[in-house]
Parts: sequence; C-alpha cells; structure tokens
Amino acid sequence: MIRLAIKIILGSGFRSLAIFLAVAGAAGFLLAISLIIIGACNSLDSGLERLGADIIVVPQGTQSKVETALLMGKPFNVTTPVWMPRENLQKVAAIPGVETASPQVYLSSMYNSPCCAVSEMFIVVFDPATDFTITPWLRKNLGRGLARGESIGGTYIFIPEGWEKIKIYGYEVDLTGNLEPTGTGLDRTLFITLETAADMGRASLTKATAPANYVRQDARTKSVTFIFEKNISSIMVKVSPGVDPHKVALQILEDTDGMVPLESPQLFSAFRSQMNGLLWGLFAITVMIWVVAMVLISVVFSMSVNERRREMAVLRTLGASRSFIFRSVLTEAALLALSGAIVGIATAAISLFIFRDLLAGTLQMPFLFPSVPSTIGLFSVGVALAIISVTLSALLPAIRSSRQEPAIAMRE
Amino acid sequence: MLKILGVIIIVLALAIASVPYFTDCQFQGLALTTIDGKTVPMKCHWTGIAEIGIAVPLLAVGVMMTLSRRKEGIRNLSVIGIILGGLAIAIPAGLIGVCQTPTMICHTVMKPLLIVLGSLTMVCSIGALVISIKAKD
Repeated sequence: MIRLAIKIILGSGFRSLAIFLAVAGAAGFLLAISLIIIGACNSLDSGLERLGADIIVVPQGTQSKVETALLMGKPFNVTTPVWMPRENLQKVAAIPGVETASPQVYLSSMYNSPCCAVSEMFIVVFDPATDFTITPWLRKNLGRGLARGESIGGTYIFIPEGWEKIKIYGYEVDLTGNLEPTGTGLDRTLFITLETAADMGRASLTKATAPANYVRQDARTKSVTFIFEKNISSIMVKVSPGVDPHKVALQILEDTDGMVPLESPQLFSAFRSQMNGLLWGLFAITVMIWVVAMVLISVVFSMSVNERRREMAVLRTLGASRSFIFRSVLTEAALLALSGAIVGIATAAISLFIFRDLLAGTLQMPFLFPSVPSTIGLFSVGVALAIISVTLSALLPAIRSSRQEPAIAMRE
Repeated sequence: MLKILGVIIIVLALAIASVPYFTDCQFQGLALTTIDGKTVPMKCHWTGIAEIGIAVPLLAVGVMMTLSRRKEGIRNLSVIGIILGGLAIAIPAGLIGVCQTPTMICHTVMKPLLIVLGSLTMVCSIGALVISIKAKD
C-alpha cells in the first residue's frame, strides 16, 4: 500500500510538490507563530520569577520606564533618572503584610566612552542586607554573597576580550557569574552591591571621562556624597505567607504618597496585552491560511482522483477492493502531509532558533526559546495536525473514488 | 540537475562573500578605539574578510561543477564544496567569531545568515556528491 502510494506521489511530481509545499508552508508558519507566542510568555514568566518580588514599588509616573528597563534592559535616560526618597523604604516596610522590603538603585554605564567597557549597560544596585532577589541565587550557586568590587551579570554580560574585569566609569568590576537566561532585559543587566556602586562612583571622579551621575563632590571640602544615600529607584516587596499581595498593594497605595505599587502578575501587563493582540492576530491569520490550504488540497485531490478514474477502475478490475482504493488515496495524502509537515516544521524551528536574537530585537519583545521537551511536543502536535487535516481534506475524494463503478469509469 | 546545483553553489558563494560586507559592525559605523585614539575594525570585520577567502574557491567549485561533465571530477568538487561550506560556518561560529554583544548586527544577522548559507552549501554539495556517485554506478 505504502509502496503504491509512493509510486503515485513520484509519478505525479508537480501535484505532489504543490501539496508538499502547501503543507510545509502552513505547518511551518503555524509552528513559528506558536513558538513565538510560547517563547514570549516563557520569557515574561521567567523574568518575573527572576525578579522574585510580589510587589515592586516605583516612583509615581515612572512605571513604564521601569518596566521597559527591566523588560528590554534599556537604562533610563541620564537626564531623567528614577529616584524617590529613601524614607519610603521604612514606610513600605511598616505596612502590615510586608515581610521584606529591599531597595534597588538603577544606574547605567556611559554611552560610547573609553572609560566604560560596555556602552549604556543597565546596572541594578541592591542592598545585600535585605535583598531577597539576587542573594538567594548567589548563596545557592556561589555559596556566598557578593564581595566588594564583585558583580553578577545576566546571561549576556561578559568580560570583554583582552580584559580580566569589566571596566565601568574607569572602575574594574569582577564578574563572578552569570544568571540563567530569561529572554528579558535582565539578561543584559549587571547586579552590584551598594558598596561597589559607591567605589565605582568615587573612581569615576578621577578615572572616568565624566563623573557618574549619582556622585556629587563638594568643591571646597572635596567630600563625596552619593544620590542613593538619600534616594532609591525602587522597593522590592515580599509579602508574608498567606497574605494577599493585592491587599498589600492597595494598602501601600493608600498609606504612601508619590509611589506606585506594581503587583508581580500585573508587571509588564501593558506590554503583555500589546503582545497578545499582535501574536493572537498572527495566529488567527495562520489558522485562516491553514483552512484555505486544506480546502485547496481537497480540490487538488478531487482533480487528481478525477484524472485517475481509469487507473483506479483498472485496479478494481484486477481485484482491488473499494477499501483498498479508499486507503490508497488516504495513504498518499498522509505521506505527503507527514513529509511536508516534518520539513516545514523543522525548517521553521531551526530558522527561529538561529535568528532568535534578530527576532527579539526586531519585534522589540522578550523571547526565550522554549525548552527541548516543549519544542518536541509542539513538533509532534504540528505533524499530527497536518496528517489529520490533510487526510480529512482527501476524505471526500477518497470516498468518491472508492464508490465509482469500474465499468462506467473505463467507458468514459 | 548537477548544473542546477552548480549554479546554486555559485549564488551561495556570492552571498557568502557579500553578506558580511553589509552586516558587519564596520558597515554600521562601529569600530574599536585604542588608547592612542586609533580606530581598529571589530572582530566581525575579519570574519567577513575570511569569508571572502572561502567564497572565492567556492565560486570556482560552482563554476567548474556547472561546466564539468566528468562525474569523478564533480565528485571531487562536491567534497571540496562540503569542506568549504563547513568552513563558512566554522569561521563566524568559532574560528574567528563575531562581536560578543548579543544585540550587535553581526551577532543577530551576519552569523546566523552565514550559518544558513554554509549549511545550504553543504546540502547542495552533498546532493551533487550523491547524484555523481549514483550516475557513475
């Protein structure tokens, strides 16, 4: 049966090629869109997991800036930094239901300056005494916290070739390790402690082309102060077990001024809804393409069966049963679907993997390639879907061809 | 069929030679500045130069495959094509490499494109090898 189907496929090269390409294109496109949707969702989820906070409190009016920085790794414009008074930390920590409140300061390296090895790198400064986002990872993987002059980087942070440390504002920071990929801006973020940030600031006064924007030096006394001594950029909040984070967020909003609590599930929500709109729109187009492709395949099979009426009548005369004719048409369809789907899906998956950085950059969205098991799962579902739908498309022509009378078909 | 594969290899060779020119950091106006103020091309630029060194013999392979009628000669050309395709991949992927920053154009466009072009060269050369072996038998 399979041998006969293969002979028929090879015998009608152009028709088979058309069906093969239609299935490959539709299946490949469907898989690519599915992978992009899953990859974007994976990336947002792992980014939220990496942040590790139930609520992030930011200064009013800076929500989108902070979200963009965390999502895309783009530091704020140096002329519009994100600051709020450090006293806010005590106010938030005093709210019932808040287990831990830890400050973070957002900085960036200089743009295209010889004193910075990496241009405009997003730098997150944390307080190791209260931090619950990076420190647990450090204790688990390094067995200790960060020492003075040390840093931990996202997966894309590296020491430039020919260097032993990363130079920022003329200060050399040691990279002790890299966090797991999240597909978000956190992959391009450097994490340092307040002590290291202070040392870096001091170094910038003498070693950088311009002092860091968070350092102030008194012209007369030469004493150095840092903006983050009295200001912070955000507060990471962990709520006590069993407490509803939403209620705590509402309490923060009521009890404090000039601050906005961003609940973890709602973080990146604007981006998530934009992305959902775009991607589900693409998905709907793909489904339409799929339906049109299947209708076309059905028409092609009908034409092919009509052309082969005599051939099938001969087979029937030689003793082939109706069921044999029916199954031979369906086997031909299933073989074309299988080969087309495998080639189309494999091409789409490989292309997406190779061009994943370009895709994430072009679409301006986070993207984390799905894990191997989920890719294999999607691959299998895609192939099964192609076989089922192409076989269904060929069902009517197969029934018609199996029911025709051999004598009438031979006379035509 | 062998002539078609030869023409495809010629197109691939031209693409391998020209893609790095438009997709390296130098084309984007980026260069390294040394302490004494001199500008030096980045690593991806040298990868692009090396790819020209791969593309020229590959172009010759394609031309000879298109013109040649001797199956044994085509078989040998196919083997060279496979090696050159592998080298076209190995140069950006490891031998020289591209710039480290993952958002740079050489990382997002040049390297993946050269991998795809090198893979296609290998597939076409393997195809030519199989056809030439079958034709001999």
